[in-house]
Amino acid sequence: MKITWNWLGEYVDLTGLTPEQVAEDLTSAGIPVEKMASMNSGVDGVVVGLIESVTPHPQADRLRVCKIDTGTTKLQIVTGATNVQAGQKVPVALVGAKLPEKHIELANFRGLSSEGMLCSASELGLDDKFLPKDQAEGIWIFPEDAPLGENVVEYLGLNDMVMELELTPNRSDCLSFRGVAYEVAALYSREVHMPDADASGVATAGDKPLSVRIDTELCTGYSGQVVTHLVLGPSPMWMQMRLLAVGMRPINNLVDITNYVMFEWGQPLHAFDYDAILNQEIVVRQAKDREILRTLDSQDRELTSDVIVISDHKKGLGLAGVMGGENSEVTGSTTTVVIESAMFDPMTTRRTSRRLQLRSEAALRFEKGLDPDAVLPALHRASALMVQYAGGELVGAPVITGKDLISPRVMQQIHVRTARVADVLGYVLAIEELEGFCHQLGLPVVREEAGLRVSIPARRPDLIREEDMIEEFARLAGFDRIPSTNLEGVLSHGGLSKTQKLRRMARDYMRNQGFDEVWTYSFVDGEVHRKLNIADDHELARPMRLLNPLSEDREALRTTMLVPLLDVAKYNASRQWDSLFVFELGTVFLPAAPNGDKGMVAPVEKKVLAGVAYGSVAKEPLYAGRNYDFFDIKGLVEGLFERLGIKDIVNFERMAYPYLHAGRSAEILVGGNPIGKLGQVRKEVAKTFDLAAEVYYFEVEMDALVQMVSSHMYVAELPRHPQVERDLAVVVNRTLSVANLFSTVKAAAGSLLESVSVFDVYTGNHVSDEEKSVALRLVFRAPDRTLTENEVQTAVDQVLSQLNSNYGAVLRK
Amino acid sequence: MREQLLVLQEQALVDLAEAQGDALDAWRVKYLGKKGELSLALRSMSKLSAEERPVVGQVANTVRETLEAAYANKFADWEAKQAAIQEEKETLDITIPGRTSGVGAEHPLQKIIRRIEDIFIGFGFTVEEGPEVEWDYYNFEALNLPKDHPARDMQDTFYLSEELLMRTHTSPVQARTLEKRRPEWPIRIIVPGRVYRRDDDDATHSHAFTQVEGLVVGKGVRMSDLKGILLTFAKELFGENQEIRLRPSFFPFTEPSAEMDIRCIYCGGEGCSTCKHTGWIEVLGCGMVHPRVLEMGGYDPEEVTGFAFGMGVERIAMLLYKIEDIRQFYQNDLRLLKQFASLPE
Ligand SMILES: [Zn+2]
Repeated sequence: MKITWNWLGEYVDLTGLTPEQVAEDLTSAGIPVEKMASMNSGVDGVVVGLIESVTPHPQADRLRVCKIDTGTTKLQIVTGATNVQAGQKVPVALVGAKLPEKHIELANFRGLSSEGMLCSASELGLDDKFLPKDQAEGIWIFPEDAPLGENVVEYLGLNDMVMELELTPNRSDCLSFRGVAYEVAALYSREVHMPDADASGVATAGDKPLSVRIDTELCTGYSGQVVTHLVLGPSPMWMQMRLLAVGMRPINNLVDITNYVMFEWGQPLHAFDYDAILNQEIVVRQAKDREILRTLDSQDRELTSDVIVISDHKKGLGLAGVMGGENSEVTGSTTTVVIESAMFDPMTTRRTSRRLQLRSEAALRFEKGLDPDAVLPALHRASALMVQYAGGELVGAPVITGKDLISPRVMQQIHVRTARVADVLGYVLAIEELEGFCHQLGLPVVREEAGLRVSIPARRPDLIREEDMIEEFARLAGFDRIPSTNLEGVLSHGGLSKTQKLRRMARDYMRNQGFDEVWTYSFVDGEVHRKLNIADDHELARPMRLLNPLSEDREALRTTMLVPLLDVAKYNASRQWDSLFVFELGTVFLPAAPNGDKGMVAPVEKKVLAGVAYGSVAKEPLYAGRNYDFFDIKGLVEGLFERLGIKDIVNFERMAYPYLHAGRSAEILVGGNPIGKLGQVRKEVAKTFDLAAEVYYFEVEMDALVQMVSSHMYVAELPRHPQVERDLAVVVNRTLSVANLFSTVKAAAGSLLESVSVFDVYTGNHVSDEEKSVALRLVFRAPDRTLTENEVQTAVDQVLSQLNSNYGAVLRK
Repeated sequence: MREQLLVLQEQALVDLAEAQGDALDAWRVKYLGKKGELSLALRSMSKLSAEERPVVGQVANTVRETLEAAYANKFADWEAKQAAIQEEKETLDITIPGRTSGVGAEHPLQKIIRRIEDIFIGFGFTVEEGPEVEWDYYNFEALNLPKDHPARDMQDTFYLSEELLMRTHTSPVQARTLEKRRPEWPIRIIVPGRVYRRDDDDATHSHAFTQVEGLVVGKGVRMSDLKGILLTFAKELFGENQEIRLRPSFFPFTEPSAEMDIRCIYCGGEGCSTCKHTGWIEVLGCGMVHPRVLEMGGYDPEEVTGFAFGMGVERIAMLLYKIEDIRQFYQNDLRLLKQFASLPE
């Protein structure tokens, strides 16, 4: 909402105040003034002049020589503009004048002196979009009644400030000068004076040339005034300039008057052609389904029954509160109009204006809800202005109908307990002060036992309960008066939950391993699974989709972290990062099974720790040489489990995934439950993300681990007796997994075996093509004695014979 | 005999002074070996008389000890010299960078969240979470935003169905927490999380961003407590001398509602382009929990009161780190992220 300082001053006395101070005080009272600017962007020394004659420049085809009368002097001015004619009044910048981007001096054009300059609107620093095209491109032609010689700053009312208010949704009462005036009045204890109906605005009783029937509950009040003998023309310059300042394009005197009054009172008005109304009866009704109405913008609109229509017996005349119909539009031939001032259901007008995408200043006010106390004053005010500025004559008394306008209104009462005010705000405001605030706000108030009873006029629909009044008191007192105190009462113990601690631990671990943390968007392309080689019927290929996405590449909720992480890899790979290690602890959204006929079910949201890596393991090129491989990422994941103390219950099993290398991928099981996967991203998949290197990926469902991680540990006793190591190199089939060897060794060796590890895997000339040699290191120890050679050898023999019988393993020679 | 031994010692010491490397070993063999000159000289002691023998024996021992000590010294010297030569050969250019697996960077938004969490944990708060896909009821209705409420315009929403949506703020966790905890109090929680608005991405708008919500409910909770905790918070996050101010505002789920401004951290209040020459920067919305919200959550607003606040993590990170484009948080450009591998907090 924009206001101008001088316009506001018509309704509340601003003597002794400055725009800057009011802007600051409004802002700290909860009506933020976002911007403030002078309407005069640097015009000085420009007056209204009359063009007495226009003659061609003898030396230049494109120039004209104008004789100008400024009322006090006669000037010769050369101009290049083509839209000047004798008899016009125009803005004349005198020698020495200042324009926003020019300084005017005596000039000479091809031998003729030019004593000033004729100006366009934009040269005066004004928005010219409201002007007809020839004037926007040429000199601004003033109306004939422009006072000769007057300074245009005065004439155009440029000595004014425009303030832009950023209103919160609850303060729609400030969508009018009246509302802002009440607010300013409250801040400085002043009175509001609205130009209510003066004598010219209320028609004397007489036969009403119009009747109105309301056929829908969605219209709660309707008033209309017939005005005749109207002469369509431009509205007075001051009105045009004011409308322009608040962002409204001037059109003609009738439309401008309805808009002017709307800004003044917050009540949207509509004027339509009286002669278009069949039988002089207006019917307010809901539209028939599929009813067609052609609106002012010449578009045929198909309506539904939840739209309110202004009509006569035969046809629709307009969409209530949204836009008039073409058939009742005020045109040059219109002499008699009905001014409509009415109340329509806010939700309905909101829906209609949204559906038809007709978001006007009027619709904005209708959908926020109107003040019934402003309906008739606005009608009277517009009537008076039409008499004054459009030659109109009122016909009969206004028609007034609808429950909000006919039945007497009872003001809402709010009981405010002074003790509650102190309890909520944390400091005491005396009852006298609270009473004073009510007076400032123009709210009738009486004392009662525990505090005050405040009556709320209809212009403040946001004041409903005690808390609303407490807020009014707090902001009038100033939020600065609220002290800073400490919470009292029971102490509470703060901290992170176990899940949250694990997540932090996991993040720290990843960073300590040199991985950079990224944050990616949750929305992805709904068809992105194809890039991952995932079939259309796969679980990951059926993401939840947004009904109203902003774009196709962000239309669905991600089901895997792989896509966003590959995007990160792609982004950075294209910026010359030869190696990359990134991780994210992010949310994936897996659709849940539908729940009968209860409609859509919320997805399962999982927190997943995932990472991608490619390129050289070493961070310094000097040490480069080895590239990231499967065992780096496996070691990374194993380290995480070791950190979480659950390494012993983790297994890796070969598993095929559509997007991972068939021979280099694994499912991660913790305590037998699958909680993640890791492996090399298929080359073809990496290629769709423009990644040429071998890319490795892992993901672990973090929250699934919480149950497995214990909150306590005891240390194991330190061994007292020495260990005995035995190294065995066994030749086995190439496909046999080390995990199988380990489990056989562990089962066969008995309780003396402390650990088994692998220290070499050999394939090559010394074994056959189908074989490999695996070197195992077995460590034996007894808790209570030093082992004898015999004991160890027996265990080793058992191991060898079991390996042989299970896998045909033989000792390598 | 005695003179003979002393001459030998003299000669040996002269030779030793000149011996280096292998010659040292040869010297040792020559003078101190089993068949060395000292041994030979001693062997001729048998020719001496019984009286002379102990005297000469003592001299011989002294000579041996002297030579052995001289040798040990000389040898140690030589060894040290050799080691020095070896180390000289093995000298590295210690200015070459070391081998490292690197230090991973913490994402700037994560860093801010962690700091905020830690500050409020210090105040006795716990950290709550809620789903990002939310029901209309928790996101709007339970927060005093019935369907068709004009204030819903403030937030353009991504919908998955009529009732399911991407949460537009972390505030639904307020409603969920009240429902879960009723009738117990005190409640002191903060809620970090990702939220979504149907805004086109540009330098200052993002369809996904991060909030931290706070909620306190208990007996006798006052707006002055809100101001007190926010002041302490602002000092912890922005510096000991930070000032705050509250300005009236509007949120459907708080009443009274306020915006919290901090003194501009760039100009200190003098006025600059960041603070639009006001000296203040808006960082947070807050207020007393609306009695309707308490009622819907199953609490009696006459028995308990509460306050709530919510802040944009991106906005704070942009202020603290001078990041000018919100999209950079989600672009994951390593050139930016890697700067966050280091302190300071
Ligand atoms: Zn500043």
